[in-house]
Order: sequence, then structure tokens, then C-alpha cells
Amino acid sequence: MENERENFENLVKTLSESSEDISKSENLKKKEKEKVKNSEENNKIFQKFKIKDIVFLAIISCIMLLTGAFMPLVSNIPLFGIIQICLGLQFSLFPAIGMMKVRKPGALLFMSFFSGVVLIFMNTIMFFCLLLCALIAEILTILICRGYKSDWASFFAATIYLPLTLPFLYLWYKFFYSFKGEEGQAVSAFIGSDAGTAIGMSVAVIALCAVGALIGVIIIRELKKAGVIKK
Amino acid sequence: MRNFFTYKYSNLYPLIAIVGGLTIVIFSLVYANDVRCSYFLIAAYLIMFLFINYKTCLKSLIYLTIIGGLFFLIAYLVSNRLDQGLSMINRVAAFTVGMIPGVSLGTDRLARNLSQIRAPRSLTIGMLIVFSFMPTLLNESRRVKEGMKARGSFTVLNPKILYRAFLIPFITRIVDISDTLSLSIETRGFDLHNKNYSLYKKEYIRFSDILFLLLIVLGIILVIIL
Repeated sequence: MENERENFENLVKTLSESSEDISKSENLKKKEKEKVKNSEENNKIFQKFKIKDIVFLAIISCIMLLTGAFMPLVSNIPLFGIIQICLGLQFSLFPAIGMMKVRKPGALLFMSFFSGVVLIFMNTIMFFCLLLCALIAEILTILICRGYKSDWASFFAATIYLPLTLPFLYLWYKFFYSFKGEEGQAVSAFIGSDAGTAIGMSVAVIALCAVGALIGVIIIRELKKAGVIKK
Repeated sequence: MRNFFTYKYSNLYPLIAIVGGLTIVIFSLVYANDVRCSYFLIAAYLIMFLFINYKTCLKSLIYLTIIGGLFFLIAYLVSNRLDQGLSMINRVAAFTVGMIPGVSLGTDRLARNLSQIRAPRSLTIGMLIVFSFMPTLLNESRRVKEGMKARGSFTVLNPKILYRAFLIPFITRIVDISDTLSLSIETRGFDLHNKNYSLYKKEYIRFSDILFLLLIVLGIILVIIL
């Protein structure tokens, strides 16, 4: 009788152990599948945006807007590139932060939409110009860096974003500040209409944006090290 | 149908207001060298008083007088020609008059309007966050500055202090706030997928909105024909 009971208990034990093993192996398989799925999703260039991405990008855009609040004061100064010189640091630092955290194509487009949304009310043309420049920067980044996986992709996109508005601005200044002189000749009433000044200002803007983007990248790297932002 | 013919002062349909403003800007910039453009802009400005809050219209006049006057002077002094000064004023006035309908809009109305036409949720949510978050961010930056003072740094002009004592704590706070806010948005049932949701107050096109647009188009036609 006792032997039978022992045998029965041993059988139950082995059965329960084997069932635990099965469930463990199933869990491991599920986890592995999830990992594969996540890595596949992460490897994709185009990824879906989540609410937390949109919220972060909107808040970063709001900071961009606030730091550029003095723009109406300088926008009327007839000096080519003055707007970009004043906005260069903020409009490269914060986009770099945004793209480093939300490493998805379209992040820059969202940021320029949110920061330019105020311009819909005041200067709709400028809003579309910003959107266009963001689109060009995104396309160039995807073509050159294949997405935003590397830090340099974010750095590159943030650096070229604002300088891309310079050619549009040059055309705009040529149109807006140009008129006919006393003898009917075309006169440009803005500083920087000559090639030397225009190139000098452009180089200064690019350098400023590169510095801003670099600071943004360094900040996010430091926050990742500190564990504030998940890797 | 009854609502369609009711006239509500300073309540333009948001998308029509934006389209109207944009039409004025583009047309006036193209015709800026023509004297008729000045007449068109004056007429458009007067039309604004019928549809948009008069205070907004008057405020824009102050801006136009100062900036327009400055640009007129620049153009006149450089070219020595009155007509070129006038064309410069026209360009400034194009933006000033064109922005009046947009400035008169509330962001909530525009967001509601965009939701109504099924614009992506991500755009409307982001737009609302941008507009409602400015005071919060200003408060946060003030707090971080107070923290800096407590640590003995009183200026942000020093790049090292700006980076270590201001930017790092500020961005950390921003990350925290955005995480909390996104969780809060998700628990309230907001979703980026295009699910059905209720809009308790809708924006409807009225006859006055169409009249506003028609008057602007009529002005454009008159400038071209005459």
C-alpha cells in the first residue's frame, strides 16, 4: 500500500515538473517571438507613431516656439539670414533632442507642423516653407542615413533643417525687398544681396545649427546614461 | 438650414478664414506694384470689420502704420520713387490684412473644425498641447532657474552653467512631464487610430462665411478687370 502511494506521488511530481517545464519553455518561446517582433519593428525605417511620441514632439515644439518668440522683432530687419542667425541655436538643439528621443521618420515634420501652427494664423507662407524644409531634411536623412537609428542621423537632420530655409529666404528677400530705382534699374534694399555676404551668413547659420544639434545630441546621450531616457 | 442664414459677428468658419487670409496675401503680393492693389487692400480691410472683431482689426492697423511706414521710408529713400514706396507698403499690408482672419480665430475652434473634417488625431492633439503648454513650460523654466539660484548660479550666460544647471534639469523635467501627460491622455481614452468620437459643438458654414469669401473674390475680379 505504501509503495503504491509513493509511486503515485512520484508520478504526480514528475507530471507537475514536466508541465512546469512545458509552460516555461512556452513562455520562453513567447518572449523570443516578442523580441524578434520588436527587433523587426525597430529595424523598419518607417514606424508608427505612438501617443507618447506625439506628446513629446508637441512639447519640444512648444519650447522651440517660446524660445523663438522674439522672431517678429527681427523678421523685419532687412538683413539676409538674420532670422536664421537668431533662431539657429534653438531650431537645431530642440529638433535634435526630439529626433534623438523619437527615432522615427516624420518626427521633424511633426515638430515643424506643431511649431509652425502659430504661423498659420500670422504668416501662412512661412508655415508651408518650414514644412517643405522639414520634408526635404527628412528625405535627405532617410536617403543618406537610412532612418534615425544612429545619432548622426538626428544630428544631420537637425543641422540642415533651418539652413534649408536660406535659399527660399533669399528668393523671398529678392522678391519682397526689390523694386525699381530712379532709372528703372532693379534695386535690392536688403543687406546681403551680394554673393559674399549671403555666403558668409549662410556659413554662419550652418555652423550655428551644427553647434545646436551637437549640444542636443550630447544632452540626450547624457540623459540616456543617467537612465532618464530609455535606450 | 435655419442656422445657415443666421449672422454671428466675429465667428468665421475657421477653414474659410484661413483660406480667405491666404487668398488676400497671395493676390496682394502678386499685384503689389499696382495702385489698384492698395484699393483692394483698403476694401478688404473694411470688409473685415463686418465679419471680424473690430478690436483685432484696429490692433493690426497700429502694426501696419509702424512697420508699413518704416518700409515705405526704406523704399522711398533707396529708390527716390513714391510708387516703389507704395508697393512696399502694399507688401506689408498684404500680410497684415491677410493675418486678421487667422488671428481672430480661437485655437479650440480650429482644432474642433479639423476634428470635424476627420483630420488625423495626432495633429489636433499636438496642436492643442502646443497652445495649452506655454504657461506650464514658462513655470518649469522659472522653477529650474530658482533651483540654479539655490545652487549659487545666478546667470545663464555662462555656457557651462547653462548646460549643466539649466538645460539638463529642464529637459529631464520635460521628459517626465511628457511621460505623465501621454499616460494621462491614454487613460482618458484618446487614441491615434481613427475611431469614432463625439464632438459636442460643431462648426457649421454659414451664409456670412460664403459672403466673406465672395466679397474677397469679387475684389480680386474687380482689380483684374478694371
